[in-house]
Order: sequence, then structure tokens, then C-alpha cells
Amino acid sequence: MASASVQPAQVLEPDVDDATKSDKPWIVIVWNDPINLMSYVTFVFQKLFGYSLEKATELMLDVHHKGRAVVSNGSRERAEFDVYRLHEHGLWATMEHETS
Amino acid sequence: MGDDGARNIVKINKGPLVRTKSGTYKLALPKDHCEVLTHLITELRDSLLTTTDDASLRRLFPTAYHNDAKKDAEYQRLMREELLASRLSSIETALMVISSSNELSESEVDAFARSINSLRLVIGTSLDIAESDFSDSSDSDSEIPDSNQDELAEQQLVQHELYDFLGWLLEWTVSAQSEGL
Repeated sequence: MASASVQPAQVLEPDVDDATKSDKPWIVIVWNDPINLMSYVTFVFQKLFGYSLEKATELMLDVHHKGRAVVSNGSRERAEFDVYRLHEHGLWATMEHETS
Repeated sequence: MGDDGARNIVKINKGPLVRTKSGTYKLALPKDHCEVLTHLITELRDSLLTTTDDASLRRLFPTAYHNDAKKDAEYQRLMREELLASRLSSIETALMVISSSNELSESEVDAFARSINSLRLVIGTSLDIAESDFSDSSDSDSEIPDSNQDELAEQQLVQHELYDFLGWLLEWTVSAQSEGL
């Protein structure tokens, strides 16, 4: 009979950074580009996210003047879905974990 | 972002796409405009069917995870084909829209708008359009070298005309669609 191992079992330490990140929502960012029309970007924000004209215009202007705007947030799956829809419409969208 | 869609070029005083009271749309473009659009969209479809890796098409397949190459590679592996299929489907609908004299649905006009925007992205990328290019149409004219004999300059001039035309058309399309929001 084999004796019981005296070696300590390997314990996988959780990656604290990953665990912390997984609790945070994802944000979807639209980046400024010189090609997409301002009116088109505003319309896409209204259509995809149901934003009012005022809200969509505000986000569009953030993209235009600040270079980027967060247009939605949520689970990773939700963010990927939104990124995909924005890509379908030709907008330059990416996603990342919310930092704060 | 560009905001010159309806400013740099005036082809028709009235919008080519109108929304009817019943919520459908009517497109009325001159025959030569339809021919140009059909040619451009067919070219785009053929390019997409050949490859999606060409530099001129990069704006049609953007990065999803800008700070995580591994996650982005996985995303592209899963979603790129779907995005390609979506673009090709929109293109087929756009070709139908251009050749049709029937009233158009919301989804048909949406596919048309997305295809026009795709064309703008491709042509704008090849022209290396920058934010400053939108300040005044006369600025871009003055940047074109005084060498009309130069084939490259002429090609760029044509590309700029097409780019402006597509911007004008997209601006009107968005205007009509916005009435339905």
C-alpha cells in the first residue's frame, strides 16, 4: 500500500487582480475618427441604445472633442454585444474593465 | 469626426431619400448616381469576398479589446466571420435598394446606410482622411498639387468626389431615418 504523501498539496492562489477585475463592469468606448459623420454617430447612439437626441449628441460631442466616450457598460457579454453592433455600424468601439 | 456630408457637395437640392407617413422610405437617385453606387458597392463586396486583411478594409474590422491582445484575438476568432457575413448581407440589401423603385422598409434603409458608411470608411482610409480635412472644402482643394496631368492626383480627386458624394447621401439618409426615431 502506498503511503500517504507527505508533500503539501499544490494550492492555486487566486489572482487577486483578476478576481477584483471580474467584479467590475465592462465599459464600451467609442473613439474619435475623422471619417464617420457626426450626424451618423448621433443617430447610431440613439438607435442602438435608445438615447435621447440630447444624450446622443452629448456623447457624440465627447467623442469628437475628448477623443472618446463611454457609451454603455455591463457584463462582458453585454459589452461584447454592444461592441459588435457598433462595429456593424462602422464605429470604432472597444471595451475594457471599468477602472474606478 | 467628419461633418461635411451635406456641405461639400450639392448634387440635388432635395433629399434623395424621404420617409413616408406610413413609415416606409422612397429613394430617388439619378440613374448615373445609382450606377456609381452599384459599381462601388459591388467592388466592396468583391474585396470582402477576397480578403478581410487588406489595409484599406481595416476600419471595417476594428479591434474590440484595445488593451488585451489575447482577448481580442479570441474575440476576432469568434466574431470576425459573423461581422463579415453581416456586412455582405447589408451589401446585398443595399444593391437591391439602389435598383428598386418600391417603398423601402426601415431595415432595408438601415442596411443601405451601413453599406454607404462602409464605403466611406474604405475610401476615407485610402485617402488618409484626417480631422483637419473637414475644416473647409477649399482647404483640401488647395492641397491638391497643381499637376492635373498627374494620374495619381486625378485618382485622388475622383476619390475625394466619391467620398463627398457618399457623405452627402449618408447625411440625407440619416436625416430621413431620424424622423422615425
